[in-house]
Amino acid sequence: MQLIPSLDLLHGRVVRLTHGDFATPTFYGDPEAVLESLDVPRGARLHVVDLEASRSGRPIETEIVRRLALRDLVVQVGGGIRSLDDARRWLDCGAERVVVGTVAANSPALLASLVETFGPERIVPAVDVRDGVIRVDGWERASTASLADVFARLESLQIPEALVTDIARDGALRGPSFALYRQLRALTRVKLIASGGVSTPGDVVSLSRLGNVSGCVIGKALLEGRIRLADVPLSNTIPERVIPCLDVRGGRVVKGVSFENIRDAGDPVECAVRYEAEGADELVILDIDGGTDRDTIRRVADAIFIPLTVGGGVRSLDDFRDMLRAGADRVAINTAALSRPELIRECAEEFGVQAVVLSCDSKGGFAAVRGGRELTDVDTVEWCRRAEALGAGEILLTSVDRDGTNSGFDLELLRAVTNAVKIGVIASGGAGRVEDFRDAIESGGARAVLAASLFHDRVLTVGDVKRHLAAEGIPIR
Amino acid sequence: MTTILIDSPVANVANIAHALRASGAALDVTRDPQAIARASKLVLPGVGSFAAAMRWLEETRIDSAIRDAVASGAFLLGICVGHQLLFDVSSEMGTTRGLGLIRGSVSRFEGTLPIPQIGWNRVRARGALFDGVDGEAFYFVNSYAARNVQDEIASADYNGPFTAAVQRERVFGVQFHPEKSSGAGLRVLRNFVACN
Repeated sequence: MQLIPSLDLLHGRVVRLTHGDFATPTFYGDPEAVLESLDVPRGARLHVVDLEASRSGRPIETEIVRRLALRDLVVQVGGGIRSLDDARRWLDCGAERVVVGTVAANSPALLASLVETFGPERIVPAVDVRDGVIRVDGWERASTASLADVFARLESLQIPEALVTDIARDGALRGPSFALYRQLRALTRVKLIASGGVSTPGDVVSLSRLGNVSGCVIGKALLEGRIRLADVPLSNTIPERVIPCLDVRGGRVVKGVSFENIRDAGDPVECAVRYEAEGADELVILDIDGGTDRDTIRRVADAIFIPLTVGGGVRSLDDFRDMLRAGADRVAINTAALSRPELIRECAEEFGVQAVVLSCDSKGGFAAVRGGRELTDVDTVEWCRRAEALGAGEILLTSVDRDGTNSGFDLELLRAVTNAVKIGVIASGGAGRVEDFRDAIESGGARAVLAASLFHDRVLTVGDVKRHLAAEGIPIR
Repeated sequence: MTTILIDSPVANVANIAHALRASGAALDVTRDPQAIARASKLVLPGVGSFAAAMRWLEETRIDSAIRDAVASGAFLLGICVGHQLLFDVSSEMGTTRGLGLIRGSVSRFEGTLPIPQIGWNRVRARGALFDGVDGEAFYFVNSYAARNVQDEIASADYNGPFTAAVQRERVFGVQFHPEKSSGAGLRVLRNFVACN
């Protein structure tokens, strides 16, 4: 997986356009100064787009490309290349490769002669997609060629790599279009350079797990300092966790929709043992009455050999200690921490950061308390950030809006929180299909995924979820 | 052979006792230095801070009891901070000397992944302790680890490679929590219980 910083050039300066609109440019200054400020390492690949050339069809910023190529960077240049002469101009300036967009979709004969003249490795076809349709001429027109046609052509020309941008994601920092790259994985052997929407180190890791993405262009996120190149792990093989949750009341497992219409669902020890046998990586017990049921915890802790996180009604250091003594490895605090945030720090100092889980129930972007029944005016993202600073070791983030609906995790909420904190986030609330668990990790940036009724009602087993994650390239134990 | 589990106050001893019994150990849980010095098989648990754990061992004289037992040929298994205590020294809160039964030092993780490491991690291992479980994932909770030590028998990656387990003659240490590592963890404990 190669990280490819991207510089769009206009009037000799680095610029960003949102959704390709020339009317709203943001300028970042001299290209070489920008590169220095981004700590781009020697030998790195660099993606340069001459925006004026893409409008006018004539290479403009050739002097800048010449200077960049002299800096020991592997430069690929795009923008309005519509002839052999255009391509040659750029390659003569020292560019390693040329990026061709309109040509790749609309001019098969020219693409073939570019490959024949310069070799397939020096031609990077750019495929810009909106709603599954290729866009050409500065995204203004839909191409008549389908994705399948274009990629069949690239394969026949033995072109190894194509740059694929989901236009709707470009510059929007909403995360890359994993669905598009997955769709192309089924369609072609051509490796993809992903472009558009990459905004977190986790996005890069998730792209690398797709298997068909060989590089990733980062523009806005880098320029705005949301990502530092040195912070991006190019892969991450640490297993992600699947966590069944037992909502417990009065020593019995119960489950309701959005914390209401509670119904009885069985014996906690039997459930816990079954989940461990199915491959659960951890177990969460939440006492929904807010009473700390030590006896149930002891019985479950004695029956399993996986980590146990316990929450519900923990109001003090003493409650916290009681839960650990009863056999919990980690304790989740929620309502009491919102009333008195210092409790997080005190517990972290007394029992270690690893033992402290912030349980955050979020409703419409605000933290909720008392099992989701009462809303506060505390912003969810701000609260999670503060809890991390106070010493929480992980965040159990439940979307009250999605809980029990089986309509999928709230990916927007997850992205907002996982972007804001460095500690792990457990996604909770809304799982309905195996793909939801994948999306929470891949797109939401969660380090663990949790579900209760889905597993309890045997709609899915923990094993089903883990097999699906493994098939999607997400490491599991 | 009876296994003695050292009843350290900084550890969740009950969970380890439970897992050792499930792995076939005839178990005594004690903090009596004389019983520990006479033991032929010892387990040293630990969570929390290295310095606090070491201070307790020194105050109770269990440190010399452990050294005596090892000198008389006892098997010893250190778990998590118990594993770290086997080394010469840790850089947690300045510099703290350990039991010095294994050459090397323990230092904090550095890198892009969050610290502490909380979760499962895959381990490359060799030797009798990992019989049947090489390549399995185990459950880790740690901010500190040994690296690149001579007596390493298992390693894993977290912000780069680190030592997941060590063995020097009859002294073993595992950085992970076997009592929380499901079947793979119980297998490691069973392998230790079976040593003779």
